[in-house]
Amino acid sequence: MTTVDTQRSDADRPVREVPSLTAIALTYRIVLRQLTSRGRIIALTMLALVAPVAGWALGSSDASLNDAVRLIASIGLGLVIPVVALVFGGAAIGDLRDDKTLVYLWLRPMARWPIVVGAAGAAWTLTAPITLIPVVAAAILTGTGSGIVTGTLIAGCIGVTVYVAVFTFLGTWLKRFIVWGLAYILIWEGFVARAGPGVARVALRKYTRSILVEQTGVDLDLADFSLAVGIIVPLLAAVVALALAAWRLGAQDID
Amino acid sequence: MTELPPPVVQAPAPPAPTNYPGMIAVDNVSKFFGSVVAVSEVSFSIDEGVTALLGPNGAGKSTLFRMMCGLTPPSRGTVQVLGTDPRHDRAVRGRISLVAQQDALFDHLSASEFVVFAARTQAVRDADDAAAGALEAVELSDVGSKPLGQFSKGMRQRVKIASALVNDPEVLILDEPLAGLDPVQRRNMIALFHRLGDEGRCVLVSSHVLDEVARLGSRVLVIAQGRLIASGDYRDLRDLMDDRPHRIRVGASDPRKLGSALVDHGLVSGLSLDDGYVLVDTLDVDAFGRQLAVLAVDLGVRLTEVSPLDDDLESVFRYLVEGR
Repeated sequence: MTTVDTQRSDADRPVREVPSLTAIALTYRIVLRQLTSRGRIIALTMLALVAPVAGWALGSSDASLNDAVRLIASIGLGLVIPVVALVFGGAAIGDLRDDKTLVYLWLRPMARWPIVVGAAGAAWTLTAPITLIPVVAAAILTGTGSGIVTGTLIAGCIGVTVYVAVFTFLGTWLKRFIVWGLAYILIWEGFVARAGPGVARVALRKYTRSILVEQTGVDLDLADFSLAVGIIVPLLAAVVALALAAWRLGAQDID
Repeated sequence: MTELPPPVVQAPAPPAPTNYPGMIAVDNVSKFFGSVVAVSEVSFSIDEGVTALLGPNGAGKSTLFRMMCGLTPPSRGTVQVLGTDPRHDRAVRGRISLVAQQDALFDHLSASEFVVFAARTQAVRDADDAAAGALEAVELSDVGSKPLGQFSKGMRQRVKIASALVNDPEVLILDEPLAGLDPVQRRNMIALFHRLGDEGRCVLVSSHVLDEVARLGSRVLVIAQGRLIASGDYRDLRDLMDDRPHRIRVGASDPRKLGSALVDHGLVSGLSLDDGYVLVDTLDVDAFGRQLAVLAVDLGVRLTEVSPLDDDLESVFRYLVEGR
């Protein structure tokens, strides 16, 4: 440890702040290691493997493109991606807050937004391979052409990004983020969104389904946005969610 | 925590913070959690050197520390550290370090990795060297590569202290840092805190153990039930505590006879009988101790128990706050 020069005035002391890119990298690495627990990864991989198994079963029974798109939309985009994103996105900051290690990032000379971006990046890093590989594999195994594969890949990437961002915010905001996240996925997106176009607009599933429909031409309910809207609006929503998470992180009490 | 009556004992007055530019200045600070008052109208100002914050568990010490670090805002009043608000001034956080009371660490990291991480997040230029120095200061250099998950409580505590030292902070806030340490480690850590204080840092250490505070330093702040009830030199406080009436329970074969004799000899200021015991209040505990056995022998009364009932810290605080 270096010795403090007690004769030095405060004005002489260099002001130290962590550059934003460094803060993102430091947060990314620590959160990635925090999130990487064997049990969590095995459980979520098992969940994600439901998609290729279902795709293979459908493909081996001479399925139509219509059936394949419905399968990807319901299991891949409607269940696997949101649930895995909820677990990792919510835990990215939520776990640090719950186990009281957040103070090691909070009480530091660095801005709040790089912490949120780094944490969300770590969640994205784990969510993307665990969900995208099985879901795209499911699209391939249905054997219904390349349009569904491209659509699944684009919709999956957009879905992972927006769900991770939104659930990172949820994890920063709420202690019981898993309960509220599941309520959103299963109740709001599963049922309430079907009540009308107004409520459907705040269902992220509608945007990812729209991308899939745009790429395949299949008629699917809750999927009437253009490709541009299906991509741009979720990305904007992700930015807003991360900005809100950064604001919330700065405003909340830390244990 | 409920509102308390004003202190009735002549405790040393807390220093007025308002016009004193201390390294930590707490001015009329209160903190509420809903209807619970965690900290109530606390004011003090401290500068370089070691200051001990003494208070029982739940007194509001950790809440006060959290406000000093900006981790939670005060409901009323202001907290300034190094002349600025730590809640909103990002740069000042690099000049403050906190050893939090909770045991939370990144258990998958080694001690060395954890302290290097702390250094990097504090924008320390040569993080590896600084981390090595900090680990050496807490005598953990030889186990730096061991995962924190395998550390004992005392070792974890020292890792937390190392991570707090790594940025060479001007203000060091330590919440019960001696918990879990063995006597040798305690002595070494106390020596370290004094060294840091002597080097010009403001070192604020909390404890709920009276004897620890005696060794930590002469400057003491006493907090109980959210209020600052005394502050000043530890020796003044110790004298104040020694002057208070002591309550002692005496078990005897004939408590009534013994009690009468104690009153006749003027050894007690108050007395009551309770199920075979004599409960006495005495202002001169030394004289009482010297004469009790002699008196019992003279009376032919057999003593079965002599137990002080108020040597614990809670009773000291109760006396300071309520005068009883």
